[in-house]
Formats: sequence, structure tokens, C-alpha cells
Amino acid sequence: MNSFWNGKRRYIALLLFLAGVFVALVVPPVIPFIQLAGENLPSGYDIPFTDIRITNTFVAAVIVWILLLLFTVYIARRRPSDGGEVPPGGFYNMFEALYEGLMGFIGGIAGGAHFRLIFNMFMTIFLIVLLSNWMSLVPGIDTVGFIHPHTKEKFDPETEEYKVITTDGFEIYQGFLGISYVNGQCDWISPADEAAADQAALAEAEAAGLAAQQTQIEDAAYARYQAAHGEHGASEHTDEAGGDHGEDSHGEEAVESAATAMDDEVLAARIAEKQARANRGCYTGVALAPWQDGYSDDKDAKKKPIPLHPDPSSEEAKRVPWVVLPLVRVASTDLNMTLTLAIISVVMTQYIGFKALGIGYLTKFFNFGTLFKSPLGGIDVAVGLLELIGDFAKILSFSFRLLGAMFAGAILLFVMSFLVPILPWPFFILEFFVGAIQALVFALLTAIFMNLATISHHHDDDHDDDH
Amino acid sequence: MDAQATIVLGKAIGAGLAMIGAAGGGIGIGISVGGAVMAMGRNPDHTATIQTNMILGVAFAEAVAIYALVVSLIILFVLS
Amino acid sequence: MEALGINPGLMLIWLIAFIMLYVLLTRFIYDPLTNVLNERRTRIAKGLDDAAAAAAARQNAEAEAEKILAQARSEAQKVIDEARGRGEDVASGIEQEARQTAAKIQYDAQTEAVATRNAELGNLREQVLQISVAVASRILGETIDAAKQQSLVNSFIAALPVEARGLGGSIEVVSAMPLTVEERAQITGEVGASDASFSVDPAILGGLIVRWSGGMVDGSVRSQLSQMARNLN
Repeated sequence: MNSFWNGKRRYIALLLFLAGVFVALVVPPVIPFIQLAGENLPSGYDIPFTDIRITNTFVAAVIVWILLLLFTVYIARRRPSDGGEVPPGGFYNMFEALYEGLMGFIGGIAGGAHFRLIFNMFMTIFLIVLLSNWMSLVPGIDTVGFIHPHTKEKFDPETEEYKVITTDGFEIYQGFLGISYVNGQCDWISPADEAAADQAALAEAEAAGLAAQQTQIEDAAYARYQAAHGEHGASEHTDEAGGDHGEDSHGEEAVESAATAMDDEVLAARIAEKQARANRGCYTGVALAPWQDGYSDDKDAKKKPIPLHPDPSSEEAKRVPWVVLPLVRVASTDLNMTLTLAIISVVMTQYIGFKALGIGYLTKFFNFGTLFKSPLGGIDVAVGLLELIGDFAKILSFSFRLLGAMFAGAILLFVMSFLVPILPWPFFILEFFVGAIQALVFALLTAIFMNLATISHHHDDDHDDDH
Repeated sequence: MDAQATIVLGKAIGAGLAMIGAAGGGIGIGISVGGAVMAMGRNPDHTATIQTNMILGVAFAEAVAIYALVVSLIILFVLS
Repeated sequence: MEALGINPGLMLIWLIAFIMLYVLLTRFIYDPLTNVLNERRTRIAKGLDDAAAAAAARQNAEAEAEKILAQARSEAQKVIDEARGRGEDVASGIEQEARQTAAKIQYDAQTEAVATRNAELGNLREQVLQISVAVASRILGETIDAAKQQSLVNSFIAALPVEARGLGGSIEVVSAMPLTVEERAQITGEVGASDASFSVDPAILGGLIVRWSGGMVDGSVRSQLSQMARNLN
């Protein structure tokens, strides 16, 4: 088997490269609508017995948990029962090597009495975050999902009702394999907006025509004025001007035609714009203007309720903007996960501090012991309070560091995919490392803070005072 | 200029300005890694300790840059 | 809050989920796996210690083996040396024995030869005596026989000068004919010598010559004859 694949893998890479180009041509990438909060799945996907709407980041979280469970079962089955047994090879061996390396690493940082607790926390956080981060590298995640009308539910204080309003989005089309795709070439334009824009264009054209007419009339008047004065001033002018009445009637016709031409020019530009959209295969915003044949403005468009989830192939689908709602979005791009892990980390830090130092741990924050003994006692109090604030700031620091890095990475991959189909490949490698480093940093900082909490700082000070 | 375009303009300018803060993080990471590498070169026996502290420092410095990034992301994608 | 998407309900669910995951992961992964890894670490450390101890033990064993080998070698050397010494002793003994044997054989042969010579001379004695007697009788008109010899000896002893009596040293006695044991004893006793060597020289014709370290007594017939001849002249 191995010898068969020798030297042939490069062709597989080439085939994948060509497939990437082909898919990018058949289904052009769409720059997605980005929002920080996890997108809610369509209604009907609630968590049972609650009214919590499932987000796509939560789906990724559940996948991570299931993978970790399977991983636990796998390792528990494969691992040797005692130190004398030779470990089995393959993935288990790789994990064991990693585990042993990290054990030595954490042992060097926090190899004290609380090593087990610190290391278990480190490893759990590391595995969860690592698995979550690396999910962003799996094809289909962040891109495959529901075709979803992009709407917002907004509370209307006047009627005291929730109103569904449409926002930005794309048109959809039925394509390859009968699946609905979002058309990145055509941003969606609501019929009402389109009609308004047409009216505006018409008004602009009329205004332009009127202005042109006005200019023409003024020009004619000026010409007449010049001609009248020319009779006195310059005889050659009157010779050339001859026949005022005939000129007047001719001048009015010219003004009329100039206005129409100006009108037509503005409208032609508008129509050309619509035609270009139509040529791109779009269906919104291409309806002909009311001054042309075949235009039918749907006067009732605003009154008809827009169904939340119309059939993508129906006629109604044309009246709503569509976006892809990814079925799975990387869990670490959601604050719920990062904030929970950050709170767990900080709470465990306080827990291990109390466990190691007892109630004396509180003197780290409320250090009034030296207030009246030393002239700098007040500084100690301030430092303790700063520590307290710092511990709360750690929650923000932890959660936003992971969220920022992973969310920015996801956006980077989106944008690069949108620009050139082949471009994101190096960025996938970058994301691989960023994911690993962020997981390591999150877990390592937890381990370091937990270890710091077990060390009594004031012991050293007391020791110094004794001397 | 209509209101929507003004909002987009403001968002873009705000996000761009917020990312200036990332420069501080970059400078900090550069200084700390430079110092750590020098220390490792002078004292290769303590590489493990230096590396750990370096990662810690880099993570703190990087956090500042990531706060700036988060602020700009929030400006772009959360504010409406 | 609305725009940021913060929803207390979802946060509560997150909190519950986190606590459940923490408990599950701790119960099924962290606690057992940490124990397993610690146990493995101690086992490896113990194994290393054991290996070090085994290495030390092996080194000791090697040193001991080296010592034993050295001892064995020295013992072997000693055995070889001993064997060589013993061999040399044996060889020298054999040699000595051989030499002694050879000397004995030589001595025996010499003795035998002397005896044979003496016997031969004894055999010759009669003839020589006869010849001597014949010569002497021709010269002296006298026949020398055993009795005459005896008397010659006796006269020699009688004529022994005083200084030749009680000599006490070793003397050399030359006779024309082999002396009998009695004659020898007689001479030795008369002279008083502790040791005497007897030799035969027919040239002296008869009588005895006794030599010692201080001088000599010539009682030979020849000297008497020559004395006689000198007197005659």
C-alpha cells in the first residue's frame, strides 16, 4: 500500500488544487455577513425543555464534547494498565508522547503538592480549546448550513409587537446538485427600496431635464438679449441674427428637445445599471422603470407579511435577502465558551489559593497587616485591591484573548476564500498554529496563575522582617 | 451622503483607529522575545525557565493587541 | 449582552459540560495515565540502577576472574618451576649416579686391570724371578727365590736406618717383585707409616726402595750392584 502511494501523493494534492479552482468557479465564494454573536439556528431547534435557542457555535461545542468523550473511551481502552506494559502504537502513542511532554512542562512550572489538580485543569482546558480551535480547519464548518432569510425581529414600541424587518443579504439560486446557493454577485435589494430608487432617479431625471430646460431658456434669452443689444453695438451681429420671430419659435423647440435628451441621459444611465445587474443574473433591482413597458410595481409589497422561512424556490423567496447560516461555527468564536472557561479558570485559581493557604489567602487582596506598621503600608493595601481588580480583569483578558484570536482567524479565512480560492491554504497552516498556541496559552496561563495562588507572598516579607 | 454611508464610514475609521493599539503589543512582544533570546544565548542552561516566562510575557503583551482587535471587531460587527 | 451573544443558559450548559468532562477525563485518562507514566519512570530508573549494579558486579567478577587466573597462572608457573627443578635434580642425580657408576666401573676396571696386571705380573714373577735369579746368579752366583726375597726384605728392614723408622707419614715402596700381603704389612709396620703405596719395578732387580717425604732408603739390588761395581772399579 505504502509503495503504491509513493510519489503519487503530489498528484492528489494537484487534484485537490484543481478541484478547489473548479468549485470556486461553479460556486463562487460569498463574503459572509459577520456577526460576533453565534447565529441562532432556525426556530424549532431549541434546547428541549427550555426556551434557549441553539446557536451554531453551540453545535460545535456539542461536537467537541462528543469527540472528547470518544477520545476518552479510546484512550481508556488503549492505555497500558501498568508501567511495565509496552504502550500500543499509533494515535495513542502520539497522545502519550504529548501528554508526557506536557506533564514534564507543567511539572517544571507547578511541580508542587498541587501538581495533580493544576495539571488536570491544564490538560482539560487545553484539550477542549485545542479541539475547538482546530475545528475551524475542517472544510464545511463555517460555510455549509441553512440558507436563511436574513431578518431581524425588532420590537416596535408603537404597536408593541415584534416586527420582522429585512436587512442586508444576497439573492439565492438553485444550482449544482439542486442545492440552493447564495449568489455573492447580487446583493439583495428590496422591492420597496428599488421602487423608491426608481422614483428618485425619475425625479432626478425630471429635475435635470427642467434644469436643462431652464438653462436652455436662459441661454435663448441671453441670445436674444445679446441680439437686441447687438443692434445697437455691433452691426455685424444683426446681420447674422436676422429673423427674430423665426428664431424664437425654433429656440423653444430646441429647449424642449434638450430637456428630453437630458432626461433620457439620466434615465439611460439608470437603465444601464439595472441591465448590468440583470446580466450578472440578478433578479432584484432589475425591474424596468415605470416609464417603460412591462414594469409592475407591487404596491402591496410592504403590506404583505414576509414569512420567516419561505421555500427558497418559491416566488416569495425573491422578496427576502438570504444569507448562509452556518450549521456549525467554531465554538471558540463565541463568548459563551470563552467566558465560561475564563470564569472556571479564575474560580479554580481562587479555590486552589484557599486550599493551599487557607483563609490567609485573603491577605493577598486585603492586606491591612502593614498599614500601621510601615510607612508604605498604604501602598500594600492599594496593591492588594489592585490584585483583586486584576483577578476580575483576568476573566475579560482570558475570554477576549481567545475569542479575538479565533474570531479574527475565522474572518481572515472568510476574506481570503472570497478573494482567491487557493489563497487560504497558507492561512489554514497559520490558523493551525494559532489554534494550538492559543490553546496552550489559555491552559498555561491558567496553570501559572493557579500555581502563583498556591505560593504565599507574605511569607517572604515576614521572613525578611525577622532579619 | 446618506446616514447609512456615514455609519459605515464611522465604523471603518473607528475600527482602523482601534487597531493602532496593536502596535503596542507588537513592540512589547518584540522586546520580550528579544530579551529572552539574548538571555537564552547567554545562559542556555535556563532555557526552559526563560521560555516559560517569555511565553507568559508574550501572552500578556499579545493580549493588549487582541483587546484592540476585539474592540475593532465589536465596532465592525456588533455595533449597529 | 445581546449583541455580544452572551447567553446565561448556554454558559450554564458549558459549565456543566466542562465539569463532566473534567471528571471523566480525570477519572479515565489523567489519573491512570499519570500513574502509569510515573510507574514507568520509576521502573526505568530502577532498571538503569539494576543495569549499573549488574555492570559493577560484572566488573567485580571480571576482576576476580582476573585474580583467579593470575593465581592459577602463578601456580602453574610454580608447578612448572618445581617440575623443572625436580627434573634437574633427577637429571643431576642420574648424572651423578651415572658418573658414580662410571667412576665405579672405571675404578673396577682399573682395579681389575691392576689386579690383572698384578696377576700378570705375578705370573711373570716366577719368570722374572728366574731371569733375575739367573742374571743374579750369573752375576752373583746366587739364586733369588721367594726365600731369598724374604730374606732380602728382612735384611732391608734390618738395615733400615734409624731415621726411616717411625715415620708416620705416607710412604712409597718400590719392589722388584710384587710383595705379599704379609711382606707389605711387615714393611708398613717396620716403617711405621700410616699409609703406603706399593709399586713394582723389576728394574731394581730385587730388594726395596722406600721413599717418603723426607728422604729415601735405597735397599735395592741394583743399587747394591752398582755400589758393588763402583767398589770393584
